[in-house]
Formats: sequence, structure tokens, C-alpha cells
Amino acid sequence: MTDIILILVGAILVNNFVLTQFLGLCPFMGVSGKVETAVGMSAATLFVLTLASACSYLVFQYLLVPLGLEYLKTISFIVVIAAVVSMTEIIMHKTSPLLYRILGIFLPLITSNCAVLGVALLNINQSHSFAQSVFYGFGAALGFSLVLILFSALREKLALCDIPEPFQGAAIAMITAGLMSLAFMGFSGMV
Amino acid sequence: MPLSLPMLTSLLTPVLALLGLGLAIGAVLGFVAKKFRLESDPVVTRINDLLPQTQCGQCGYPGCKPYAEAIAAGDVINKCPPGGESTISQLADLLNIPALPLDESYGQPGVKKVAFIREAECIGCAKCIPACPVDAILGAPKYMHTVIESECTGCDLCIEPCPVDCIDLMPLEPYTTPIKTVEELNNEEILACINCALCVDECPVDILPHELYWACRGNDLAGAETLKLMHCIECGKCDRVCPSSIPLVEYYQAAMQSLNTQQTEKVQAGNAKQRFELHQQRMETLKIEEEQRRQKRAELAKKGPQSQTKDTILAALERVKSKKKPN
Repeated sequence: MTDIILILVGAILVNNFVLTQFLGLCPFMGVSGKVETAVGMSAATLFVLTLASACSYLVFQYLLVPLGLEYLKTISFIVVIAAVVSMTEIIMHKTSPLLYRILGIFLPLITSNCAVLGVALLNINQSHSFAQSVFYGFGAALGFSLVLILFSALREKLALCDIPEPFQGAAIAMITAGLMSLAFMGFSGMV
Repeated sequence: MPLSLPMLTSLLTPVLALLGLGLAIGAVLGFVAKKFRLESDPVVTRINDLLPQTQCGQCGYPGCKPYAEAIAAGDVINKCPPGGESTISQLADLLNIPALPLDESYGQPGVKKVAFIREAECIGCAKCIPACPVDAILGAPKYMHTVIESECTGCDLCIEPCPVDCIDLMPLEPYTTPIKTVEELNNEEILACINCALCVDECPVDILPHELYWACRGNDLAGAETLKLMHCIECGKCDRVCPSSIPLVEYYQAAMQSLNTQQTEKVQAGNAKQRFELHQQRMETLKIEEEQRRQKRAELAKKGPQSQTKDTILAALERVKSKKKPN
């Protein structure tokens, strides 16, 4: 039980995938314009990451290891992730078509969100068990959601402020992200 | 080097393993796709609800719903002159895309207009009645017509069918108030809000005046509404304590006014949509009835044109005879 809590805290705060390991920056900058969209993206990523880390663990342990094909792990993980993302896409198109439209290209791009592949590969590297893998993926997604939603709330406020012209748009977003990253560095060494 | 059997098997295992994986995944995806098949696009309804429902066709589509469908399929959002900037910004907000300026080749935004029939010149031809998409013209053949002003959307579709040109489009006098708009206030030289929250302690109705100010300043009407904009009683206490002397109440008034206009427009659009749907139903039934009458006449004509005409001739002769008798 303690190791699972440690994994969760570690993945959410200490080794936050976005702000400490700098994985998954594309959606972090791309869909953080509005809190509503950010929440949708977080939900999609949460679903994909948890499911993908579980599936890739199963594929690795029960397909690749018995056949001695460990060297195929990157390719097969990408296939598994792509499948989970397509499934999410189909389900989301049915259940919340507006969100599907708003997320647009960023939804299929979860496939190439390096945080997803990163979690699957790190699970193997750190020889996690099945439960640990699932919670590691879940924690990574929670950490991603946390910073994405915080960042989008900040950007919503920023949109109303008097920002000097050279800093408008992406520049101030980058600076904000940098400051957030600095703040998250404060958690290092906690676990 | 010739291919040996162990080499072949070592090649075959990865290929077969990946093939199996792919097949399994394909099966799962196929099942999910079948289970979550999409029947209709609910986004169209959401877009349609934002359009002004004038059914004027200035966008090049026959009505607001077809344009909503076109937007959902990827058309640009700046083709609606009656909606103007406010509709465009709401659409941009809904679809999370940048707002474009109105494309003026589709028409000038201008002021709201209503049709007016110069009643002395109306000949009662009733040609304008089916043309009106929201059934806002009242009248019957050979009687004078008039326009129900509150229902008219100013689409100008009745102008063209009128044979005597007795319909004018009159601009509705815009309702003017001395309240400044948010843009005018933003252009004024105002010191920045420093979030000191002195106004929060003063507010008698417990709203967060500084937060509300940010929302109003950014024209975020939905945000202002959730921050209880409508609870403001305009007492001006926040104004007096503000160290930056920001005209807070003027901002709230401006936001309230645009929110009110937006809401009235929404109600009007809802009415127009309902009337348009009823109009379409009516036209449909009229068409079917007309078709039935035509068929009936055709059948009668086919049955016995001679017997019928003979009958009428005989009846006429009878009448003449009966009239002549007293002489």
C-alpha cells in the first residue's frame, strides 16, 4: 500500500511528467487556452494513460517476454497506445462531440504524447508490478492534469491582463510555464 | 547463405506476434466502433442555437440550420451579417477557434430592420405571405396585409415577390443610453487594478468587485454572470474606495447592458426558429393539399369528361326552360 502511495505522490508532484521531466509539452502548451478544454484533455489523457500502461504491461509480460522479443517493446507499445487513443476518440465522438471538435488534432496526438510512451517504457525499466504500473500511469496522468488545469486557469487570467506587447501570446505562456516548473522543482527529493 | 529453419522461425515469431497483436487490437476497435456509432451531429444544434434565426440566406445557404451544418462541416463562421460580431465571437467561443471579422461581401451588419407595408398601396395579392420565413405577415387574398413588427426579422425576403413594391425595410431606432461600452472604457486612461480587494469589504451584496472587473474588462460575459454580475445594485461603494479610481460601476453597467442585449437576442432567435419551423410545416401541408386537389381534378376529368359536361348542359337548359315558362 505504501509503495503505491509513494508511486502516486512521486508521479504527481516530485517527478511531475510535464514540469520536471518535460514530457508531454505539446498538449501542455496547445490545449491550455481554456479551463474547460483543459479538463476535457485531462480526462482523455487520464483514460488513455491508465489503460495504456496496463495494456502495455500485459503485452510485455505475456506476449513479448515468453517469446523472447523484448527488443520489440517500443514498437508494440506504440501500437497499443495508438489503439487505446483511437478507442478514446471513437467513444468521445459519441459521448461529447463538442469536446471532440474542440480538442481536434490534439486528441489523436495523445498517441505521440511522449508522456504516454514514457510511462510505458519507464514501467518496464523500473520493473514495476501490474498494480504499480497502473498506478504509475494513473499518477502520471493526474500530475499532467493538475499542471494542465492550473496552467489553463493562469492563462485565462493572463488573457485579460495588460501584458507588454513583446510578451503577448506564447512568450508570456512560456514564462509562466517556466515559473511553474521552478515551483515544482521545490518538491524534488521528497520521495 | 541459405535460409535455415531456425533462422526462419526466429524471423517468424516476431512477425506472427505483431500480426496477432494487430489482429486482436483491430477486433477490439471494430467492436467499439460498432457500439459507439454516431447517428446525428449534436454540434449542429448547438451552432444553430447561436445563429440569429433570421433565415435571410445572406450567407448563401437556405436558412440558418443549413449554415449551421456547413459550419460543423468546416465552413468559416463570419458569413452572418445579421448576427454581426457578437454571433461570431460566440461561435468562436463555442468551437474554440479565433474570431474573424465579418466578411462584408455577404452584407453589412448595420442596424436591425423591420419590414413595413405601405397599406394604401397593398393590393392584397398575398404573394409576400408564403415568402416570409417566420410568418410575420398577416393578411388574406384581396385584403390588406400588415407586418407583425415584433416577429419580423428584417430578412428582406418579402421585398422581391411584391408586385407593387409597397414593402419598405425600416431601420429600427437603436435604443440609446448614456452608458459607455466596455471598449470605450478600455480606451480611457485607467490605472491598473492591483487586486487590493478593498472593494470586496465594501460590497453590500457580497460579490467580488475586482474579479468581476477583470471579467467585464475582458468582455467575458459568461464569466461575469457566474461572478454574480446581476446581483450588483450599482451602489458605487467599490468605486469610492478603489485606490486606482477605476470606474467599476460603469464597467458593470456596460457588461449588464451587453448581457441583456445578448439575452433578448437569444429569446428573439428562439421565437424566430420556432416560427420558421411552423412555417415550413405549413408550406409542406399546403403543398400536399394542393397536390391532392390537383389529382382529384385530374381523376374527375379522366372519368367522364363528356357525361359531366352533358349533365351541366342539360341542367342549364332546364334552368332556362323553367325561367321561360311563366312568359
